[in-house]
Amino acid sequence: MKRISIVQGEQAVVSEPNVVVSTVLGSCVAVCLQDPVARVGGMNHFLLGEPSPDRPVPAANMVRYGVHAMELLINEMMKHGASRERLRAHLYGGATMIAGLGPIGRENAAFARRFVETEGIPVGHVDLGGDHARRVEFLPYDGRARSRQVANAPPVAPPRPAPRPPLGDVELF
Amino acid sequence: MPAASAIKVMVVDDQASMRAMIRRALQDFGFKDVRDKPSGPEALAAVRADRVHLIISDFNMPEMDGIQLLEQVRGDPVIGKTVFIMLTGSSDREIVQKAAALGVNNYLVKPFAPAVLKEKIERVFGELT
Repeated sequence: MKRISIVQGEQAVVSEPNVVVSTVLGSCVAVCLQDPVARVGGMNHFLLGEPSPDRPVPAANMVRYGVHAMELLINEMMKHGASRERLRAHLYGGATMIAGLGPIGRENAAFARRFVETEGIPVGHVDLGGDHARRVEFLPYDGRARSRQVANAPPVAPPRPAPRPPLGDVELF
Repeated sequence: MPAASAIKVMVVDDQASMRAMIRRALQDFGFKDVRDKPSGPEALAAVRADRVHLIISDFNMPEMDGIQLLEQVRGDPVIGKTVFIMLTGSSDREIVQKAAALGVNNYLVKPFAPAVLKEKIERVFGELT
């Protein structure tokens, strides 16, 4: 069995058997999606749900938000032959790791639930909230996933450096 | 300075949560008339039936992508001059050049901060009130 481990800000899309994708979550959320007909599955791992409308967000930090992470994941799966209408989801994470650190975990969990509802994606296994870290393992080809409690959450990564200005020298406007 | 509330907008994206996020951002900027559709053909039919001033469309959509939608809009004698802003992924350099050749008014690279969307709209319409 080939293993692919992802961390915050990453995703993996797989369309072959005998591959397991795994991650460890604290307050972050991982969404596993699978198209059971195309046999394509993918998992992401994001830090925050949606930017709040009353708080300015630097463009470079937008990549940390689930609303974009989900689009990237679905687009990549569609490149591998998945169809949006056939997707099924499993949702994990969103724990409150340190009391008093704010509602990030809860907000992430709420975002994940709202996302699948808005997109009309049926949900299988859900393990959201609580106060413990989780290890998630997903078999993208089969669509099966499981989570179990682990002692330590991964450290939250600092913001990634701002990417190079996209599109380089394309200055059209 | 144009009033945002007077500008009718059509948002086209196959992801419902992205449409919802763009709608909320536009409403924060003062836009009142914001419609949205999940696909190019549906958006095209809607804006032909009831014209808008601005189309904000994703590039990466199944069935009809943003470039094909732009082509259809520009080729239509009635809605051909509608302002068109395209949303692309960061690696879609060729797409932007193609869109520019087809007369796109501006483009925006995903993921984007809401303030950048406003800036791009203002570059076309002037400062919004």
